[in-house]
Amino acid sequence: MVQRYRIRWTKEARTRFISARDLTSVWERGLRRVDLPIAYSEGFTPHPKVSFPDALPVGFASTGEYAELTFAAPIVPDRDLARLSDTLPAGMDITTYLAVPDGAPKLARMLRATLWELVWPPVDVAELTTLLTRRCDELLAQERAEVVRHRPDGDRTIDVRPAVLALAASARPTAGGDACTVLRAVLRNDGPTVRPTDLHAALSHEDIAEPALYRRVAQGEPVDGGLREALSAAVVPLVPDVDAEAA
Amino acid sequence: MLGAAITRRVPATPAREPRRSVRVAGAAAVPPPSYWDALEPLLTRVRKPAQYVGGEHNQVARDWGAADTRWLLCYPDTYEVGQPNQGIQILYEVLNERPRTLAERAYAPWVDLEQLQREHGIPAFSLEHHRPLWAFDVFAVTLPHELGHTNLLNLLDLGAVPIHADARGVEDPVVLVGGHAAYNPEPLAPFIDAAVMGDGEEVTLEIDDVLAAWKRDHLDGDATPGPEARRDLLRRLADVEGVYVPAFYEPRYHDDGRLRQTVAVEPGAPALVPKRTVQDLEQWPYPRKQIVPMTETVHERFSVEIFRGCTRGCRFCQAGMITRPVRERRPETIQKLVEDGVRDTGFNEVGLLSLSSADHSAIGAVARDLADSYEGTTTSLSLPSTRVDAFNVTLSNELSRNGRRTGLTFAPEAGSERMRAVINKMVSEADLLRTAELAFSEGWRHIKLYFMVGLPTETDEDVLAIADLGIRTYEIARKHGRANKVTISVGGFIPKPHTPFQWCAQDPPEEIRRKLSLIRHAIKDHGGLKLRTNDPEEGVIEGLLARGDRRVAPVVERAWKLGARFDGWHEMPTLETWMQALEETGVDLDWFSSRERDEKEALPWDHLDSGLDKAWLWEDWQDAQADKELDDCRWSACYDCGVCPGLSIEHDTGYTGGFQLPVLPQGLGGGSQELPTAPERYASDG
Ligand code: SF4
Repeated sequence: MVQRYRIRWTKEARTRFISARDLTSVWERGLRRVDLPIAYSEGFTPHPKVSFPDALPVGFASTGEYAELTFAAPIVPDRDLARLSDTLPAGMDITTYLAVPDGAPKLARMLRATLWELVWPPVDVAELTTLLTRRCDELLAQERAEVVRHRPDGDRTIDVRPAVLALAASARPTAGGDACTVLRAVLRNDGPTVRPTDLHAALSHEDIAEPALYRRVAQGEPVDGGLREALSAAVVPLVPDVDAEAA
Repeated sequence: MLGAAITRRVPATPAREPRRSVRVAGAAAVPPPSYWDALEPLLTRVRKPAQYVGGEHNQVARDWGAADTRWLLCYPDTYEVGQPNQGIQILYEVLNERPRTLAERAYAPWVDLEQLQREHGIPAFSLEHHRPLWAFDVFAVTLPHELGHTNLLNLLDLGAVPIHADARGVEDPVVLVGGHAAYNPEPLAPFIDAAVMGDGEEVTLEIDDVLAAWKRDHLDGDATPGPEARRDLLRRLADVEGVYVPAFYEPRYHDDGRLRQTVAVEPGAPALVPKRTVQDLEQWPYPRKQIVPMTETVHERFSVEIFRGCTRGCRFCQAGMITRPVRERRPETIQKLVEDGVRDTGFNEVGLLSLSSADHSAIGAVARDLADSYEGTTTSLSLPSTRVDAFNVTLSNELSRNGRRTGLTFAPEAGSERMRAVINKMVSEADLLRTAELAFSEGWRHIKLYFMVGLPTETDEDVLAIADLGIRTYEIARKHGRANKVTISVGGFIPKPHTPFQWCAQDPPEEIRRKLSLIRHAIKDHGGLKLRTNDPEEGVIEGLLARGDRRVAPVVERAWKLGARFDGWHEMPTLETWMQALEETGVDLDWFSSRERDEKEALPWDHLDSGLDKAWLWEDWQDAQADKELDDCRWSACYDCGVCPGLSIEHDTGYTGGFQLPVLPQGLGGGSQELPTAPERYASDG
């Protein structure tokens, strides 16, 4: 009996440096270690049926990765996916799962938008947060916001604006007792691709440095004030409740 | 610019004296800083950053204070190349299994990260906790070949440790080297504290004991240990069998520059340093907890060494000579290691390692049992074996039950019968062609043949015989299918210490190039026959370092200072740098590489005993020049190479149990096509 599960997982800490190419074998080995009956593709070089909707650039952190796993035999998801989560490298954890009924829409269709987070080092916090807030307002008021994406195969101009659904800059306390500036953005996934790096380019006007970290927080349906996470249906707010996070 | 990354506070590298507080045994030690926070922001700026993060499945990350002795094990190349190394893996496990010992791992950073490390003051670090190299008691480096020498110097320098052994004090790590290239460590003599000869398992633990005792005696008290404490450590190390401390020896030269003798100048230092041999592999059932990389490496599989040593006596082969005698692992141990290891690591490929894996006396049974266990699963088996005979094809058939029959590799090594007699590779042309016939008829699609040029006594006729053999094999390939392929892979021969060819002249690159073009020309009308060659210049540095003496050390240092790193990498052409280093140091490359030595001349490794009797090697060298072959002493009569009597062991092959002995066909090539056990199993197979 074939069973499909969609899971949300994290790619934090050291694992954010694992490339998309290497991820397949990290998952395959994890699945084999806990001996789960993952289904394999046919052919001479069978691959485990683990599919990822899209690749995260190397170095980006994420609490909003997704995957679809197809099993050739029934599993006990609470127990077995927890075991799988345990055996994955530290930083990779399965946080939610959902069994997939027949005829369910494709996973990608459940991930219409992404909540991104750009985190700066703990410097210039007040000034930077103010400046970013102003720039966000300006951008949201514009019809178009073109940036040039530099690639080895040539420059491309893209309009960031249509993808931007919501933006908010805030200061967030850090573990070390400082604060740092965080920009959260909901970007649509169903139009031409706009990356958070493009968003940075549109806001920086050459006087805001690259953030120290890009993080994909969650994916799902855009709603007022944030995003309804695809698997849990919980709303992830655009501006997080700082006290709740610190707790 | 707002929000620009503050330069992260990088922990300062302390001066040498204060480092002593880090080195103290146990909980009294001040743990060294972790460089992770400083390193992390740089990782988005380098190639393949996952190689620097550690955190793999089966990594052992212990508290600094929980250990009395602390090792940093290093393979001086990239993680991608070094991570699969079995030697490091085994030592990592045996050291970390000790309650009061800690071992972490380090690899060479690629040049992009090295540059950033130097800019930001981040020393060479361990993967487990990103601790600095200088903090460890031992920096133990495996040298599987000579092309890691400049990386070794670079790592020391990057790790804030003086590159010269005589400049190190009690607060610095002891720098040890092991592995095949440690059988002639003379070109590294000024930079290392000791070389460890032979199998590492036992001697490493003995060294660990010596170290723990020395730390108790010198680092625990309140008194400040002086320079004599370091000397005392070296002396204690030299007392361990198999440990060579170069500082206790001096080379003496003839007026004409030839080496007269290397003599022990420290009382008590042995005149001849013997290699270590683990007599019973069964006592060392490792790896049990093989590290599972999170990024691509050159061998992605769970590996088990099925035997150590080789007795075929190919005269060019250093590995075969220095790892004698043969010690096999029992089939049931292999089976258990594989089953446990596959379950524990999740690898989907198993490698049965050894120098010549088809030679295990029970390989038929081992292959059959493993193939049975994994039949119909997604686990595949691989057996790196290049033996030219039907048995090898049958074995490959067995192991490929779960997969496709793509490529087989055979290593006749030389093209003409005469040349093969010289190198003692006992394969006849008829053997090879019969083997090829069988392989293609059983559905294999591609055969690779390995050869060398530049062998002693070689003529152009011998070289052209390679092309000829390739063409004939290719004709057989075509007969069985128009898409079938044959590749001949030809490398330049590099003479190595402790082999019968240690006296011979190495062909200069121009000569190798000429010989390769002879082959290329001869096969040009056979479109489907492919020729693969290496750049002939690549053998130059390796050859110099393989047989160099201490006078080559300044060249290594100069080349490193001039920027040589990763000498074996195509991306890093360093030959010009080395040529400049040779010129600046006045060392004559040809004198070391392309000069034939005579019987009287002392060799730089004469005081290092690989177990082979020098007189026997010389005789074998004479036999080689007379085209005389020698049998494999595993199966036929002992020819007294000198290894076994000293060890009071015989070749440890075969066991009582469920299979017959000997299982190998007599002689090479003419062998049976059937695996010796339960041949009926294969009736349906092909
Ligand atoms: S078979 Fe020959 S080449 Fe291979 S390991 Fe043994 S001695 Fe070396």
